[in-house]
Amino acid sequence: MKKIEYYSLNTLTWVIVAFVVFPIIWMVKVSLHKNGEILQGITSMAIPDPQWLNYKNLWETINFGQYFKNSLLICTSTMFISCFLAVLAGYALARYKFPGSGLFGMSVIGTQMIPGIMFLLPIYLLFLNIKDTFGLPMVDTYWGMILVYSAFYTPMSIWIIRSFFVSIPKELEESARIDGCNRIQAFVRIILPLSIPGIIAMCVYIFLTAWDELMFAWVLTTTPEVQTIPVGIRLFVGQYTNRYDLLMSAATVVTLPVIITFFLSQKYFISGMTAGAVKG
Amino acid sequence: MEISRIPDAPEAKQSFGIRLKKGFREYRIAYLFILPTFIFMLLVHVLPMIQGIVMSFLKLNQFTLSQYLKAPFIGLKNYSELLFNESNPVRQGLGYALRNTAIYSVVVTISVMVIGLLVAMLLNRDFPGRGIARAAMLLPWVVPSYVVGVLWGFMWQKEGIINYILVDILHLMAEKPFWLIGQNTIWAIIIPTVWRSWPFIMVVFLAGLQTIPDDLYEAAKIDGAGRLRQFFTITIPMLKPIMAVQLLFQIINNVYSYNIVAMMFGNGSGYPGKWGDLLMTALTRQTFGYWSFGVGAAASFLLMAAMLIIVGVWYRIFRSELRVE
Repeated sequence: MKKIEYYSLNTLTWVIVAFVVFPIIWMVKVSLHKNGEILQGITSMAIPDPQWLNYKNLWETINFGQYFKNSLLICTSTMFISCFLAVLAGYALARYKFPGSGLFGMSVIGTQMIPGIMFLLPIYLLFLNIKDTFGLPMVDTYWGMILVYSAFYTPMSIWIIRSFFVSIPKELEESARIDGCNRIQAFVRIILPLSIPGIIAMCVYIFLTAWDELMFAWVLTTTPEVQTIPVGIRLFVGQYTNRYDLLMSAATVVTLPVIITFFLSQKYFISGMTAGAVKG
Repeated sequence: MEISRIPDAPEAKQSFGIRLKKGFREYRIAYLFILPTFIFMLLVHVLPMIQGIVMSFLKLNQFTLSQYLKAPFIGLKNYSELLFNESNPVRQGLGYALRNTAIYSVVVTISVMVIGLLVAMLLNRDFPGRGIARAAMLLPWVVPSYVVGVLWGFMWQKEGIINYILVDILHLMAEKPFWLIGQNTIWAIIIPTVWRSWPFIMVVFLAGLQTIPDDLYEAAKIDGAGRLRQFFTITIPMLKPIMAVQLLFQIINNVYSYNIVAMMFGNGSGYPGKWGDLLMTALTRQTFGYWSFGVGAAASFLLMAAMLIIVGVWYRIFRSELRVE
């Protein structure tokens, strides 16, 4: 009886795995077909004649390399800036109970409750204002996007890294201070190295979220020189007839680095992301 | 004792002064550390939010936008337009969007929590290939949500793979339905969202399950409690704080959901139809499409107010579960 249960639960697990993974396999499979075949409707699982050229054509049909570069540049810069800010603020929130710390902590979480559209136009107008007043272009610039993204992903990152700092015993710092370190030295030499796993988790989180952002990219960029992948990818549908072959290979190409990053950092990422959620 | 106490007294006073000074020094670092974030949030969160609220009282359209600081003040007119004027472009379709968002948020949130918990329990057992199964199940969560929109939009097509499986292989329906038009649309957006969101909940629950001590289950077994009883008296209560937090983030994510729908239908510019339009896609499209920014700002302010009420209710229900450090 126990054995039957064991094996049926195992089977159920693998059935779920199959269901869950199927759409991703389908995406990769479709990306290897000719567009004509796709438009007729593909039904078999076999790929008679894999079109590896789709992956090459993708970069030539539209300027996909430019979009890819933009996304990479904006997301990486955002990651570094947000990480820097969140580590400082998260540490302050984890270690000190200063007047206003409660309010600051609450407003950090509160930012998540404001709908994006509430910021969308004001930020756009603010950017135009800055250009009019200071002559500094903000719309259609890398730094405009990086500024907005960094500010948006810092609050949640603070929350993630704060719970990590809380889990590091205070005594470590205190003994470092007895040994003659000042607060900053104790923080840099003792706490930072210990929180590398948490910082990696947070960085991956920031990168994945920024890689995924669509609405602001849509409004705050209008030229392909700055637009990110989600904005560029729609050119495959509509603009020039429906190129589902290229669309699916593009989707595969943008998913691949994310999956690789994720699995390389999985060990840290999961523990870091769940620490906050489990400890509350 | 007496003697040793007397010289202590002034020192205690002094040490209070030192403590105060030390406290200042401590706070100084804390303030220094939050200062950059504070300025950032002031510039990119607080200032635009205030501006957004102010905008909801202004007459903002394509003519006044360029000089928006001097746009005429019209009081609550934007709000009354939004609530009572059926022919206002931003108002149009908002009822459908509200209904769809409500259905979408409730169904996605509940499904994700239930599936996440059940699969977490499935994976919390020992079996060969557990690590592989866990990693494979996490895959959808890593796929960018705009890719999810593009991919599922493709799979839902009339001659797409989903209809092929449902009709030609499983014979569940007589003919192939349209998924991206009409009432089916709501499922075409709910299912991909669930597909992408549940793995994270599963991982969180799995971590939570591993913190429940085995003795609790042992004791319950000795007391004669069955599986179901153990589930409701041990598992659920122990996971409640995690559920509370995840529930909140799920509600926020789903009410403000944008990417999947935006990419699935006409890649952002198109109208997803009466059964596919969500609040965020409707508001963005109509506000920007009709240059009706004052009314759009009023709508987003009301949306935020509604979210604050939801969060307030959430907090009242789960207050006792949340341990604040």
